[in-house]
Parts: sequence; structure tokens; C-alpha cells
Amino acid sequence: MSEKVKVTNLVKTFGTNEVLKGINLTVQDNEVVVIIGPSGSGKSTLLRTLNKLEEPTSGSIVIDNTDIANKNVNMNTIRENIGMVFQHFNLFNNLTVGENIMLAPVELKKETKAEASKQAKQLLDTVGLKEKFSARVQSLSGGQQQRVAIARALAMNPDIMLFDEPTSALDPEMVGDVLEVMKDLAKKGMTMIVVTHEMGFAKEVADRVVFVDDGQILEQGTPDQIFGHPKNERLRDFLNKILNV
Amino acid sequence: MKHRLSKPLRWVIFGVAFLMCLIFSNTAQAKTYQIGTDVTYPPFEFANKHNQYVGIDIDIMNAIAKEEGFKVHIKPVGFNAAVQAVQSGQEDGVIAGMTITPDRQAKFDFGTPYYKTGVVMAVAKNSRISSFKQLKGKRVALKTGTAAADYANSIKKKYSFKTVTFDDSDNMYQDVTTGNSVACFEDQPVMQYGIKQGLKLKIVSKPANTGWYGFAVKKGTNRALISKFNAGLKKIKANGTYDRIVGKYLGSKTNQAVKGKTFTIGTDVTFPPFEFANKHNKYVGIDMDLIRSIANEQGFKVKIKPLGFNAAVQAVESGQIDGVIAGMSITNARKKQFDFSDPYYTSGVVMAVANNGKVKSLSQLRGKKVAVKTGTAGADYANSLKKKYGFTVTTFDDSNNMYQDVVTGNSAACFEDQPVMQYAIKQGTKLKIATKPAESAPYGFAVKRGQNQALLSAFNNGLKDLKASGTYDDIKAKYLGTGGSQASVKSTGSSTEDRSFIGLIKQNKGALLSGLQETMWLTVVSIFFATIFGVIVGLLGVVPGKAFNWLSSILIYIFRGMPLLVLALFIYTGIPSLTGEKIPAFVAGVITLTFNEGAYIAAFVKGGIEAVDPGQMEAARSLGLPFGKSMRKVILPQGIRIMIPSFINQFIITLKDTSILSIIGLLELTQTGKIIIARNLEGFKVWTIVALMYLIIITLLTWLSNWVQRRTNV
Ligand SMILES: Nc1ncnc2c1ncn2[C@@H]1O[C@H](COP(=O)(O)OP(=O)(O)O)[C@@H](O)[C@H]1O
Ligand SMILES: [Mg+2]
Repeated sequence: MSEKVKVTNLVKTFGTNEVLKGINLTVQDNEVVVIIGPSGSGKSTLLRTLNKLEEPTSGSIVIDNTDIANKNVNMNTIRENIGMVFQHFNLFNNLTVGENIMLAPVELKKETKAEASKQAKQLLDTVGLKEKFSARVQSLSGGQQQRVAIARALAMNPDIMLFDEPTSALDPEMVGDVLEVMKDLAKKGMTMIVVTHEMGFAKEVADRVVFVDDGQILEQGTPDQIFGHPKNERLRDFLNKILNV
Repeated sequence: MKHRLSKPLRWVIFGVAFLMCLIFSNTAQAKTYQIGTDVTYPPFEFANKHNQYVGIDIDIMNAIAKEEGFKVHIKPVGFNAAVQAVQSGQEDGVIAGMTITPDRQAKFDFGTPYYKTGVVMAVAKNSRISSFKQLKGKRVALKTGTAAADYANSIKKKYSFKTVTFDDSDNMYQDVTTGNSVACFEDQPVMQYGIKQGLKLKIVSKPANTGWYGFAVKKGTNRALISKFNAGLKKIKANGTYDRIVGKYLGSKTNQAVKGKTFTIGTDVTFPPFEFANKHNKYVGIDMDLIRSIANEQGFKVKIKPLGFNAAVQAVESGQIDGVIAGMSITNARKKQFDFSDPYYTSGVVMAVANNGKVKSLSQLRGKKVAVKTGTAGADYANSLKKKYGFTVTTFDDSNNMYQDVVTGNSAACFEDQPVMQYAIKQGTKLKIATKPAESAPYGFAVKRGQNQALLSAFNNGLKDLKASGTYDDIKAKYLGTGGSQASVKSTGSSTEDRSFIGLIKQNKGALLSGLQETMWLTVVSIFFATIFGVIVGLLGVVPGKAFNWLSSILIYIFRGMPLLVLALFIYTGIPSLTGEKIPAFVAGVITLTFNEGAYIAAFVKGGIEAVDPGQMEAARSLGLPFGKSMRKVILPQGIRIMIPSFINQFIITLKDTSILSIIGLLELTQTGKIIIARNLEGFKVWTIVALMYLIIITLLTWLSNWVQRRTNV
């Protein structure tokens, strides 16, 4: 196993607000890491700095031996290797389902239209939405949209997938389908960093769980360690709140 | 006074006397009276340039003699010699500008006083002195032995001025015109005559020490001659001969026909330099000064009514007012309704170029632009020549914008009535006149045909006098600077035009359609560039990079904040002044609209893009799509949909805003309307037609845009 992502002393501030206060995190190839933590603790920010949707303030982020904190790095090619799934799906409203998936492969000249559409159909098949290829985005339910978003992220054949609370905006009955797709991905050996409040998913799929609070990693370990034997006071508080709801 | 007669002069006098003997030889029985007079006392007696003895005294004496059937032999022996000769009985009488005084009445019998005189003070034409008080400490010129000198000496102490005395009138006048002395005193008629002959002096005081001139015989003798003189004087006063004689030498100051009367004179509202309200709201100008000076000269009063040209003309026709002076050209058509005075001004159209302009003739205008003002004779003239000389005509509403267009070099020349042009140049416009006046048209003062003949002849007499005295030239110089001589033709619409809506549309169809075409061109070309400009500036507002965002905001702020009119004038007249490069009006118009409409477009482009969910951009970027591609493929398609209603709105606004560009002379629909109205004055009808044309085009555009909008929403 090799290091896929290595974050060292990552600091991110917005103005005077220090959101990430020196994060050190390593993710191995094929590893599934679940990040948990209270709202506003910096989970999304951490995830977004990994593909530089946010510019890191200091520290280093090495992905596949490239330090992306370096200004000279072409982020566009790096991003092709990092898929991202957003809480609110962010499907392109001006395009059909198929076009959403095909856009990047075609525009970035990786594939011809024919190849791209063939691949898009395959991807839709894997997320259980084969028949929605020509549908307008607006006609899909939230769960369906999120699965299309996952398919879109996979279209560039990334090595790493980032998920930022992919099921938080979904009606409960839709959550299962999306988690199924994610579990399948994990089984296929995708390196995944997932921010989620779905503890069941974490327990079942995660190789490691990371607890973030106030911009710092306070504790990390196997699901068993984190959920069975939490050491940190705040982690215990957090788990109590979540599990007792 | 030197009483010296040259030999030829004697011969001439002899000849004149001989001729008179011949003339009066039919009254052979009549006695020939020997009358003495002065040698030189103009205007009463003097030798004219043909060395003939003439003057008021001589002419009156001869006229009376003729009237009464006696003969006279007038001998210019000198004043003192003549007086002594009468006393000694060698001569029968003396007529020599001789004032009737008690002293003289003791020795002479005087006829009925034939001329009233008085002492006046005259100063140099440009002098500010207008009262005796201002003479304090100054030097005054006098002529020895005159009543005027006596008078001046009598007030010398009171006003504490110094005097210098000359033997000769000319030297006295000279002393004042050169500024050595500030004033001179002289008998009114003498002074008046001198001024009429071109002396650069003006009379500034009322006649003082007034007295009467009389014809004198030795006391107790020649009663018969006195009664003949009195009878004859009465007759020549009654039949106008007296007035004619005095008028001949002094200008008909005493025009009995109009004396003391008040006449109402109509004029135009604003026609500089002929009539216009000055900053004190007083009507001034060449026409105004002329009529006032003539009234003054002829002894009548005027009431000026600035009714407007057409109204004034009609008021004269209907007899509501007595005359009209309004830069009115004398035409055969008008002569049917009016009696005109002698032309008092001849105008014509001239071409003016920039001070440093190289165009000197019409043929150098080929391929160039020429500026004119709507509705002027200059515009008509330019339009009649544009084919022949191959230039294009730009029309302005306002003289100033027209001049400016030439000053900045956008146009090579402008055409305007000479006096109007000359006046503008005198007012500081940096142009020069390059051609002689063409299409010359004389101006006249007019009264209703067959009416007010006394006023008309008073005007003609007064005009002659003003011309003779130099006052006329002074008035012209005051408004036109030196060397002026001409004026303009008022263009009034032909009365045969059909003034119904249909008629107006038919007559002006070509002009209106080409105006509409210009409007459409301007709109389409401008909206094209405005869209490019707007999209670029709008995008600068949303790309990452603070500097770009700032630039975008500033550009939007400036061009959205500046009134379109100001921007148009700035670009059209300002840029050429800054860069020295000319801008064609159409290009300036397109630039103006590109910036102004583009700023609005930029604002809604920016707003439209910002209205797209930022998650869309993040998702696109997270896939590895560069910023530009993300914009084009994801953001703009969504943003444009938001922008379309604003864009259509902007298109319509641009179409309407083109009308403002009429200010820089673009011949679009609004300017076309203005020009038509300037000619036919049918404002309401023409504006209705123009408004409907705009509405029709905008309705069509709205339909088109609704259709586009429906299609893009599918
Ligand atoms: N673009 C931003 N500008 C300013 N503050 C931000 C921005 N994004 C996040 N923050 C702040 O950073 C903190 C962490 O936010 P986030 O990473 O979204 O937390 P979490 O995802 O753990 O709920 C919050 O206080 C939030 O207000
Ligand atoms: Mg979050």
C-alpha cells in the first residue's frame, strides 16, 4: 500500500477566521476514510482544499507525489483524477443527464462523443439509472440526481473520490440507493474520503474514521476504536448527540 | 479766418453769377440785389469741390429770389467785410450765418429768423466724455471769434477746463481726434455738417446759447427787400424747399412729416446680429440700432415689438403695426404687399473654415464633410451644391454645434449667412470666412404697401444721413467687426405644400425612410459592439482577480453614470480636441452607444452570471474543466437565459437613445424630423409621424424578441 494523499500542517484561514488549524492526514491507496465532526468544524473546507476549490493558506498537500499547494501545479489535470460529490449535487442545469456525464470527457478531449456517450450509459447503468440518459436534470429526484452526480464524477476515471455529505440533502428513502452506490465503489477499491453523518455507513465501509473538531483532528482510528472506545471527551460528546437523536 | 480767393475760384464765382444773370434775365425788370456773404462757413456758405458757391444761406437766398421774382448777386467777401459793406450801403444785404443779437438789431433790420442754432460740445467718437463736468482739468479746443468760443470761455471757470484756440476749424477738430484736446465747441449746424462729412467726432451736449440766424439789411433801408425775403421764406417753408435745402446739408433733422410721432415697428425674436435680446433683455442688433438712430435723426420715436418674423410681417400687413425691420429680404413676391426702403444691408451665404483650415474654395470640398444649420439659407445653398462638389452635409440644430464641428475638424467647412458668421467670429468663434457672399439678398425696412409713406421716406433719408455720417458703419462694426457688408435670406416654407398628414408623409417619405434606416443601422451596429463590450466588461466583473473586478466596476460606473448626451458631445467634440484625430459622426455615435449601452449590458451580464448557483462553477472546476470552459459550457448558457429579457429591453432602449445622437448632427429619424419641421413648422404633425414610426419599429422588435424568448425557454 502506498500513500495516496498526505496532508501536512494544513492551515486555512478566511480573513481572520482560522478554519483549519494544522491538519495532518495520510490516506493510503484504496483506503476509505470517513470524516466526522460537528457542523462548522472545517470538514467541508478540508475536503475542498484537497482539490483546491479552496486555496490552502499554509502546509502541504501531496497527492500522488505532487504537492498541490505549489502554485505552479496545473490543478485542472490533478482534478481530473479527483472526483467530487457535493451535498447539493450541483448537476449542470442546462444539460441533460447524459450531457452532464459526457461534458468533461469530451471537453477535455479524452474521448469522442460516441465513446463518451457509451461510457456515460455504462456509468448510468452502474448507478441504476440507465433509462435516464436523455432526461432533463430537473425531472430527477434528489437521490437520482446524486447518483448521476457520482456517475459524472466517475466519468474522468479518477483515483480518488471526495464526498461532502452526499446524503444530507436527501429524503430518507433516497439515502439507501446512494449509499449502495458508494459501497460498491469502495468494494472496487476506490480511494475515498467521505464526510458524512451516516454512522452505519462508516462502521460498515470505513477503513479509518477521523474526528475533526474546531479545525483540528482530535482522534482517528478504526470504526471499532472510534465508535467502541472513543478516548477524546469531545468525540464522546459528539457521538452521544448523534446516536441519541 | 483767412479770406483768400484763388484765381480760378474768382472765375467760377463770376461764372455762377453770370449764369444766374442769364437764368433770371426773363425777369429783366427786376432789381438785382447785391448780397454779401462769408467766404467759408460751411454748411452755410462754401465752395464745393467744383468750386461752386453753395450752402444753406446761398440756396435759401436763391430760392427766395426765384420765388419772389427778384435777382440776387451773392458775393463771398467775408463776414466782416460783408457786414461793413451793408452798413456803408455798398451792398443791399448780408446772409452769412449771422446771429440776431440786440446789438446788431440796433444797426440792422433782420428778416424772419431762418435758422435756429446753438453751441454744442463734440468729443472723439470713442470718447467716454458726455458732460461738462467730465472736462475738469482737461483741454478743450476752440476756434477764434466764434459764438462757440465765447460760450466755452463763459463756462470755463465753472467747469475748470483749459482751452486752446485755433484759427481754423480743421485744426480744432484735429486736436480733438488726436486726443490732445478732449472736446471742442462749435455751432450745432457746423458741427453736424462736419460729422456728416466724416469727422470722427460725436455731439454729446444739447445746443446751448441758442440763437437765430437772420438776413440783414441796413437799418431803415431796403424794407422792400426784407418783406420780399420774408414772403419768400414763408413760401419755401410751405412747399418743402426749405426742408430740402437744410436736409441736403445737415440731414433732414427736421423731418416735419414724422416729427414727434411714435411708430410701432415689429421685428424677429432672435436673429443675431440683427436683432436679439442682450443680457439686460434689451433688444439690440444692427436692425435695432439702425431704426433707433434713424428715428433719432429724423425726430420720430419708435416702439420695438419683437413679435417674431412671421408675426411681425403679418402685423404690418394687417395694419396693426407701422413697419417691420427684421432682416427681411426684398423679394418681388413681398413687393406686392409691402413698400420697401432702400436696401440697408446686402447679405449672402459665405463658407467658413477653421482658422488653420486649408480649404479655400468649394472645389476643395470634394469627399469632405460640411456642417450646416437647419432651416438656414446656408443649408439650402450647401444642399444645392453638394452633388456638384461632391461633399456630404451634416445638419445641426444649433449654430454653436455647427461651428464646433468645423473648429474640431470633423467638418471641413460650414455655410452661413455672412453677417451671422461674421458676428459669430467677432464673438470669438475660431473660424474664418473663406468665400465671397453668394446668393446675395438685400434687406429692407418695410411698410404696408401704400401706407406710412412719410415713415418710409424718413427711413430712407435717415439711412442716407447715417451712411454719410459714418454712424451706419459704426453700427455694423459694432456687431460684425470691421469690413462687414452683408446679411441673410430668411427661408420660409413654401405655401404650396400640402400640410395634411398624408401630404406631409408623401413629401417627406424619402427623408423619413432614410432617417429610419440610419436609426436602424445605428441601433444594430451599436448594439453589436455594445454587446461585445458589455459581455467583456461583465465577465471582467466575475473572473477571479480583484483588478479585473475593479476595472469592470469602474467602467460600468463611468459609462452608466454619464448622460448619453454629454458622452456623445464629449466623444464627438472632445476626443478630436484631445487627439487631433477626426471622428465621423456615425463612428462617434456608435462609440457613444457602445459605451453607454455596453455599460448597462455589462451590469446585467455580471448580474446574470452572479445569479447562477456558484455550485455549478465548483462542480465544473472539480471535473478539471478550466475556468473559461466552465464559463462557456455551464455558466453562460444559464446566465444568458437570465439576461435575455434585459437584453431585449436594452435593444429597445438603444433604438430610442439613437435619437439623442441628433445632437452631433447624425441624420437619423429624430434629426430628420427636426429638419422637416424647421422648414415647414408643422411640429405637431411631423412629430406625430416620427413618434408612430418609432412605435411601429419597437412593436415589431418586441414581437421578435418575445418569439426569441419563447424559443430559448423551451
Ligand atoms: N468561503 C468561506 N468564507 C468564509 N468563511 C468560510 C467559508 N467557507 C467556510 N467558512 C467558515 O469556515 C468554518 C468551517 O466551515 P465548513 O468547512 O463548511 O464546516 P463543516 O463542513 O465542518 O460544517 C465555518 O465557520 C464557516 O463559516
Ligand atoms: Mg460541510
